[in-house]
Amino acid sequence: MFEPVGVNDMMVAAMAGAMIVMFGAAYAFAFALSKLNKKRWLAFAAYGCFAGLTVNVLILAKSLNMNGFWTIVAITMLVGYLLAPQAIWKLSVGTHESSDSK
Amino acid sequence: METVWWASEDLWRKVAIWITAFMTVVLIVLTYDSLHAITAGGESGRVKAYSVINNRVYYKFDKERNLPVPVIGDSAPLFGKTLTEDEAYALVTKGKITTHAKNCMGCHTFLGNGAYYAPDLTKSWLDPAWGSEGVREELMVTFLKDPETNARGFGSDRKMPNLNITDEEAHAIVAYLKWLSTIDTNGFPRNFTPISQEGDR
Amino acid sequence: MSIGTLSFSHLTTGQQLAIKYYSVAVILFAAQVLFGLLAGLQYLRPDFLYEVLDFSVNRMVHVNAMVVWMLYGFMGAIFWLVEEEAGVELVGAKLANLGFWVLTAAVTVVVLVYLFVQIGPGTMESLWFINEGREYIEAPRWADIGIVICLLIFFYNISATFMKGKWSGISGVLVLDLVAVAGLYLAGMFYITNTSVEQYWWWWVIHMWVEATWEVLVGCIMAWGLIKTLGASRKIVTTWLYIEVALMLGSGILGLGHHYFWIGTPEYWFTVGGFFSALEPVPLVAMVVHAVYDSGVHRFKNSNHPALAWFIAHAFGNFFGAGVFGFMHTLPQINLYTHGSQWSSSHGHLAFFGAYATINIAMFYMGIQKWRGDVYMSANIAHSWRWKWALSLLCLGMTGMTIALLISGYEQSFIERALGGATWAAYFEAQQTAWYVQGMVWRQIWGYVFASGLVLLIWDLLTIGKGDTRPMLLPEPAEH
Repeated sequence: MFEPVGVNDMMVAAMAGAMIVMFGAAYAFAFALSKLNKKRWLAFAAYGCFAGLTVNVLILAKSLNMNGFWTIVAITMLVGYLLAPQAIWKLSVGTHESSDSK
Repeated sequence: METVWWASEDLWRKVAIWITAFMTVVLIVLTYDSLHAITAGGESGRVKAYSVINNRVYYKFDKERNLPVPVIGDSAPLFGKTLTEDEAYALVTKGKITTHAKNCMGCHTFLGNGAYYAPDLTKSWLDPAWGSEGVREELMVTFLKDPETNARGFGSDRKMPNLNITDEEAHAIVAYLKWLSTIDTNGFPRNFTPISQEGDR
Repeated sequence: MSIGTLSFSHLTTGQQLAIKYYSVAVILFAAQVLFGLLAGLQYLRPDFLYEVLDFSVNRMVHVNAMVVWMLYGFMGAIFWLVEEEAGVELVGAKLANLGFWVLTAAVTVVVLVYLFVQIGPGTMESLWFINEGREYIEAPRWADIGIVICLLIFFYNISATFMKGKWSGISGVLVLDLVAVAGLYLAGMFYITNTSVEQYWWWWVIHMWVEATWEVLVGCIMAWGLIKTLGASRKIVTTWLYIEVALMLGSGILGLGHHYFWIGTPEYWFTVGGFFSALEPVPLVAMVVHAVYDSGVHRFKNSNHPALAWFIAHAFGNFFGAGVFGFMHTLPQINLYTHGSQWSSSHGHLAFFGAYATINIAMFYMGIQKWRGDVYMSANIAHSWRWKWALSLLCLGMTGMTIALLISGYEQSFIERALGGATWAAYFEAQQTAWYVQGMVWRQIWGYVFASGLVLLIWDLLTIGKGDTRPMLLPEPAEH
């Protein structure tokens, strides 16, 4: 079902897990700011953060021996972290727009 | 202008209801299946019948599952008495209730859940701390009845307080712990090394 | 009736009740911290209070006080908002008052029995009258039944008030969620010998409270708070409440699976638990976008600075405690080493504080403001150093404890499980390594920092706005 983490990879795996969430938030933050302020460099920063997230997902996948089913989990994570903030932005605009124009 | 449909309050109310309902139904189905799988003495073998305390318990590495699994060996009655399933259930129940009444979970963990001030008890029956198989049962009873004098802190100052455990309760707790050690925990705790027992393989 | 003076005449009937609930909550919060300090000290000095107040007793009071003070905080918050939300006076106020006193008397008796009787003989009577011996829900069975009755009274008050007045999206979610909170408690109210089955249901209470229904409850309180303090538009806030419920329960209900890795349950829980745990932090992260959008698009005037600061602490605390510290060790590949070690307590400390203590404290500040006749609480409050220092010390102390426990937890899982044979000998070897012990020492030190923050917080809650005659700054109504 799964192959437990190697003894010496435990710290690496935990840190990668933490960094995924941190980079995820940094990406979301920079992405939202870039939309708000229409600044190109912020968009670059956002995708830079997402690149950092991707690297950490790879580290996590490697250290936690994520094969087979777990590959799907890793890919779902990447897609989720990439698209969820964009969807939430769209929703933010969508929910506020209508009442703004009233 | 009306809100676009995908951002409307109405849509999201429905989404929230349907997602919650769907996840709840999935959980109920899984619960039904899991409870069946963890019935004591059930066919999945994950949780053993209480009369398992009449036998030796080994752990053997299962290559296919990639983890150690409990294996029930030959007859080795607890305290030299072979019990029927009903008798075993009564004894294990007495032990389990005692672990609640003495709030064991306030310091120990069972299956890894509880407090971390004292060792996990999931496989304490198989712990090498008891020296040898022959003296284990009596050592456990003696320890439970007077943990202060018989402290097993392995060099640390931590010792279990006297919880006024009676002789009957101590025997029952040992029965409960023996039964507990036969639960298939998917390899938890990692790397557990059991006490050496007769007929080890 | 003047601004700056405490007077019940400033409050509605429900809000007067809320103040009572908040007061008990603060007392229990103090008890939680006190017994936490005692238990922490016993890690360093095992002889301390040995066979007087053993670790098991201190720890039980520590975690139970937490669960109960948070529930008191939530109940208070709901009494606080129910009348304004429904537009009518509280229905069954006398009964509600009685419910409060019965519940508080029961809690007092339970705590006294914990402290002075502690344990009983191995019979069902002990479980009925002394303690049930199940982590977090140790309350004896008689008290369980009492709690359910009081919750039913509470439920009657709230739903009847909404029924008499008007329903809204927020109150609809709130009432349904209360049904779930109370219903789930029933899953923790029976004895069963089969430990796997027992823990299966036990997690229904613990996980479904903490990672599902309580979160929704907080979502409702926050939604109301946003409308109230920031003048946000009700329609938008309600839509977002639904979105949050969909995301939280969509990932949270089956996220329950990460508790079913090692308790005897079948292996498919690795799949279910692994998948949903990997996705649990995603909504948390995505919501950052909405926060940025809101703060950027609308410039809000804020009527209560300490409350807003604690709302922000909630956002960060929830993110780090539940998100970062949760995801570090939630997948089974690593959880196999960390489950049941100080690693769990590290995550637990930050997550409970970040998600629930913070929001309750924010509500306390909103309560005190109105109790003093809607006194001014924006920039330049007298003695504002108190709330700022209280906030800093509490957050700093908690962060310090969390990191110290993480270091101990890492050392424990490494020595005990990775290198050792997960035996008693390996356990005690890990407990005595320098890194582990240092972690526990620092946890204690940060615990004192946290406690000093709490003292300051209580002092501030008792004095803030006293004698200030400036009226509260009104939030600007939604600009649309």
